[in-house]
Amino acid sequence: MGAYETQGFKLDDSGRRIVVDPVTRIEGHMRCEVNVDKNNVIRNAVSTGTMWRGLEVILKGRDPRDAWAFVERICGVCTGCHALASVRAVEDALGIRIPKNAHLIRELMAKTLQVHDHAVHFYHLHAMDWVDVLNALKADPKKTSELQQMVSPSHPLSSPGYFRDVQNRLQKFVDSGQLGPFMNGYWGSKAYVLPPEANLMAVTHYLEALDLQKEWVKIHTIFGGKNPHPNYLVGGVPCAINIDGDGAAGAPLNMERLNFVKARIDEIIEFNKNVYVPDVLAIGTIYKQAGWLYGGGLSALNVSDYGEYPKVNYDKNTDQLPGGAILNGNWDEILPVDPRDPEQVQEFVAHSWYKYADESKGLHPWDGVTEPNYKPEGPKFKGTRTKIEQVDESAKYSWIKSPRWRGHAMEVGPLSRYILAYVHATKGNKYCQRVKEQVDYSAKMINSGIPKALGLPETQYTLKQLLPTTIGRTLARALESQYCSEMMLDDWHELVANIKAGDRATANVERWDPSTWPKEAKGVGTVAAPRGMLGHWIKIKDGRIENYQCVVPTTWNGSPRDAKNQIGAFEASLMNTPLANPEQPVEILRTLHSFDPCLACSTHVMSEDGAELATVKVR
Amino acid sequence: METFYEVLRRQGITRRSFLKFCSLTATSLGLGSAFVPKIAHAMENKPRTPVLWLHGLECTCCSESFIRSAHPLAKDVVLSMISLDYDDTLMASAGHQAEAILEEIITKYKGNYILAVEGNPPLNQDGMSCIIGGRPFSEQLKHVAKDCKAIISWGSCASWGCVQAAKPNPTQATPVHKLITDKPIIKVPGCPPIAEVMTGVITYMLTFDRIPELDRQGRPKMFYSQRIHDKCYRRPHFDAGQFVEAFDDESARRGYCLYKVGCKGPTTYNACSTVQWNEGTSFPIKAGHGCIGCSEDGFWDKGSFYDRLTDIHQFGIEANADRIGATAAGVVGAAVVAHAAVSAIKRVTSKSDSAKADA
Amino acid sequence: MSATTSDKLADVTGIDPDAIEHGATIKSVYVYEAPVRLWHWINAFAIVVLAVTGYFIGSPPPTQPGEASANYLMGYIRFAHFAAGYIFAIGLAARIYWAFVGNHHGRELFTLPLFNAAYWKEVLTMLKWYAFIIARPSRYVGHNPLARLAMFLLYFVLSLFMIATGFALYGEGLQAESWADRSFGWVIPLLGQSQDVHTWHHLGMWVMICFVILHVYAAIREDIMGRQSVVSTMISGYRTFKD
Ligand code: HEM
Ligand code: HEM
Ligand code: SF4
Ligand code: SF4
Ligand SMILES: [Fe+2]
Ligand SMILES: [Fe+2]
Repeated sequence: MGAYETQGFKLDDSGRRIVVDPVTRIEGHMRCEVNVDKNNVIRNAVSTGTMWRGLEVILKGRDPRDAWAFVERICGVCTGCHALASVRAVEDALGIRIPKNAHLIRELMAKTLQVHDHAVHFYHLHAMDWVDVLNALKADPKKTSELQQMVSPSHPLSSPGYFRDVQNRLQKFVDSGQLGPFMNGYWGSKAYVLPPEANLMAVTHYLEALDLQKEWVKIHTIFGGKNPHPNYLVGGVPCAINIDGDGAAGAPLNMERLNFVKARIDEIIEFNKNVYVPDVLAIGTIYKQAGWLYGGGLSALNVSDYGEYPKVNYDKNTDQLPGGAILNGNWDEILPVDPRDPEQVQEFVAHSWYKYADESKGLHPWDGVTEPNYKPEGPKFKGTRTKIEQVDESAKYSWIKSPRWRGHAMEVGPLSRYILAYVHATKGNKYCQRVKEQVDYSAKMINSGIPKALGLPETQYTLKQLLPTTIGRTLARALESQYCSEMMLDDWHELVANIKAGDRATANVERWDPSTWPKEAKGVGTVAAPRGMLGHWIKIKDGRIENYQCVVPTTWNGSPRDAKNQIGAFEASLMNTPLANPEQPVEILRTLHSFDPCLACSTHVMSEDGAELATVKVR
Repeated sequence: METFYEVLRRQGITRRSFLKFCSLTATSLGLGSAFVPKIAHAMENKPRTPVLWLHGLECTCCSESFIRSAHPLAKDVVLSMISLDYDDTLMASAGHQAEAILEEIITKYKGNYILAVEGNPPLNQDGMSCIIGGRPFSEQLKHVAKDCKAIISWGSCASWGCVQAAKPNPTQATPVHKLITDKPIIKVPGCPPIAEVMTGVITYMLTFDRIPELDRQGRPKMFYSQRIHDKCYRRPHFDAGQFVEAFDDESARRGYCLYKVGCKGPTTYNACSTVQWNEGTSFPIKAGHGCIGCSEDGFWDKGSFYDRLTDIHQFGIEANADRIGATAAGVVGAAVVAHAAVSAIKRVTSKSDSAKADA
Repeated sequence: MSATTSDKLADVTGIDPDAIEHGATIKSVYVYEAPVRLWHWINAFAIVVLAVTGYFIGSPPPTQPGEASANYLMGYIRFAHFAAGYIFAIGLAARIYWAFVGNHHGRELFTLPLFNAAYWKEVLTMLKWYAFIIARPSRYVGHNPLARLAMFLLYFVLSLFMIATGFALYGEGLQAESWADRSFGWVIPLLGQSQDVHTWHHLGMWVMICFVILHVYAAIREDIMGRQSVVSTMISGYRTFKD
């Protein structure tokens, strides 16, 4: 495509092309290609979704009450958020209102996912972009213990012996010569700047988090029977409440179960407070000190979310993470986002392996078309149909569609939500003041608190410098995790109070029977999924699904160029990042991972060129 | 190098009980006591078995489930029992450095590594609906399968096809055993399988040094020989005829049987009602929702999850066996009545005819 | 009825034109021996029980009040089903045994003269008779040819199917490695999975019900309108001819 400018980014594909495929430590399959100039700075970035499964087609003609289970299987990492969006869409279409208990239980489940997904992402998928695992062997356990006590005074697991044990175990592991998942890592790369002690602390928390995350999801197990993929129900939740009546001991939710949930919430709060947030602040500070402030991309310009966590169900004004859209970095104005408006959310396929009648236009999901057109092509394409060596971004190059909001490429995710909530809070919204508190505290810690403690120079970064970066994205995720853990405690108390007030209802089954449904109906369900704004659009006809479309966070972020050649969030975030060593794509992985890409989510849209699909054209 | 024995030791198991474990192993393998020291020796010294964990079309719920394992802990499995040398969801390296690992293990451990597959290969679009390193996943799968010792098909995707293979299976997602036919394949179905079932299968293979005994359909008998219904704690209510008639009714609050709201426990082979989920915390039925049959072949296409009787989608109609059958019986009954009526008329007229002739 | 006559009559099953001719001259024949008759009525009873209990297994009656241990409704329904299932299966086995040791008519249920042109001609004759095209059917000593077709396909083959699927399902409850699982467990993967077996087994019930409706109707109608006794044949064993 040569050199051109879009959204303020100067793209230039003349330099050396580097391919990363597979991009690992993500959910699903993805490929990334970049051009670097002679100083090894990224001047052009191309991200390609390399899988699709076709759930939307599979859903056609099925019972809307079953849809949640199908779409839940879009992704086992953000497990439950698609199910939630689905039951919301169906309830919206059929005019079903769920009981308060059901709402609170769903909130608890959604936030459990948020916390789990964020922490596992950080420690098990993302940490190795910041942490040099082998370098941890050089750490002094005693100094590590001091570091731990300094960044997190109330964390009990901080003795020198504890860190020495972990170090010994790691040493043994390395000595075995079988490095397992750490094999061929980019250890020793200049891109890693943490001191050995910070590395050892992080490796220790990798293991700690691995042990703990399995405890947190037990909240899903209580309410939904299992995790991954807990059960949902159109009209409420399946777990009936019986606190003190006959047969309470055999009821899905009784006093013991509620106490169990409470115990997990307390653990989650502790972990976020003592481990997750301090780790991210410490690592973030050290990388910032080293001058690594890249990866902001679109987040400095356009961010959006539908809004989530209403204090009062069905009242969007009480959202504790309020939504909206910010354009061109104008933090003074929040534009309303309406998923029903055909002019707002639209998907384009100009550079995706799909076909529209007119590819210069986008389509609203209720009228979405999914017709495949797998064709790796273009003048710069290298390889064959089944052996891609290099894609050509001037042609079609990804299985991901390009969703746009009023024609703009948007970044979505915890960072977007945090920018929005912060701005809302400064405008006086009383439901999200906690966000402002967290952000201000973090800025203080990064600029002065931690540098002071570590004997590093203090800094004066503004929020606009601090937040729209790779580090900011990772930080927002940690803060959101903490915020969710705190909201969970509120939800739990509210649930207990509501039961105490005599309300036991968990499901509204008035419109369970399809004979009570209108002949035709359409609805939308939105969720603040761990990776960003998620929407499901459904059309129901004669009791069956007529059309189902999902526009998923990673579709927003991982989208290829659109009809106007605007780049997506992944691509934008890589721009102008220098690589320490182009042979080792640490920085590329670091920034891509900061979005927590979920490819199964983004590319579940499908099709084939067979006859069946000819019938699957949606108006 | 930490051996299996050392892991056990570290987990607080004494040498005495370790040896006891070895002799139990010997007995259950049908070996004499002379083999006990041999087994002990093997466990004390064996290097960790390399496992290459490939991902096709899937949702990663199997990996997620795996890391939920409580006994053994996922970290112990990964750090001390196996050598998880390739797993795109967890591994540090990416791109060609990751690809290089596959080649290294395949050559170095030819015939001695385990291939674990999560997800399945799609065959439509020349396999390019799942691309790894610019090539179809099916190619990678065949390549790595060629020299492996055995294959573990994780979850319903690898075992049966799962959701992407639900009708009309647009990508032609195909279970592993249909593509690879010359290797022992252990199916561990479920969407996902229970964490402790996954690690249970692995630890069995490591300790007993053989693949677990499989049932007719290739599932380990140790976890898949009984239905949810066989061990469901709500079974007394089933036998008594006490059912949840609608969600959140009085019966639901008393924990009655979920048969009438579509529970597939009676047709589902899995360990949910015994092992339970997430360290034995609960399982779907205990949390009030019927089993949806997630470990069964083609469970997506057996009608609504809330219907006891499966919808049948043939001949353009869509109804369950009772509706189809009752309609058919009704038609037959009506035909019989009509036929009887015509017969009666004929009989009367022919009688009067012959009466006339006689006259 | 002497042995020689019945030997001669053995051919009169609707496959041999001469024999059909010959049949026209007789007035009464001993067709169904006592064990066949006994079996018929036991079998009819078992199938009624199986269909009623089977229906309730698929769609159970409303929830029972009281403590679980005070009720065993599904237990009883299922027990009755399985007991009747055993009777049905063992009965059929006994009936097959009788096909070897009993008289010629005892074999008709289990075989179809597929490649016999005369047989198909008589099937056509029967169809014409039922379609009111011809005034009088031929005379048959054993089953009429159309009945034989229905008996074979809708009764015998279907029964084997019901037994195979029924005992496959039963083997699930009896647990893996039980005799039922070992003998019939293969049916389950063959039809897909357990749920499919349930569905097919359930559909089989309705096919059986259709057969019974047709069968009972045809028996009574033949009795009234045909040229031979029918219903009483299954009671006394003798086929009598009206003209
Ligand atoms: C004419 C013969 C038969 C009829 C009409 C019949 C009918 C039925 C029906 C309608 C069902 C319910 C299926 C469902 O929707 O789940 C059923 C289930 C069953 N039948 Fe039969 N059946 C017959 C023969 C047999 C035989 C010979 C056996 C062998 C023991 C048998 C064993 C079973 C079993 C084990 C079940 C499942 C029970 C359960 O799920 O609890 N059936 N039968
Ligand atoms: C569940 C119900 C029934 C079933 C499954 C059934 C099945 C059968 C079968 C398999 C035969 C063939 C016997 C053989 O060739 O050995 C037969 C014959 C016969 N059945 Fe039934 N039967 C049923 C009910 C009845 C009833 C209610 C009647 C009386 C109204 C009846 C009257 C007869 C007669 C008359 C024959 C002899 C037919 C002939 O002479 O060709 N059946 N039945
Ligand atoms: S709840 Fe399901 S598994 Fe449990 S007894 Fe009832 S039908 Fe069986
Ligand atoms: S109870 Fe059924 S649906 Fe649930 S996890 Fe177990 S097998 Fe899967
Ligand atoms: Fe996801
Ligand atoms: Fe979509």
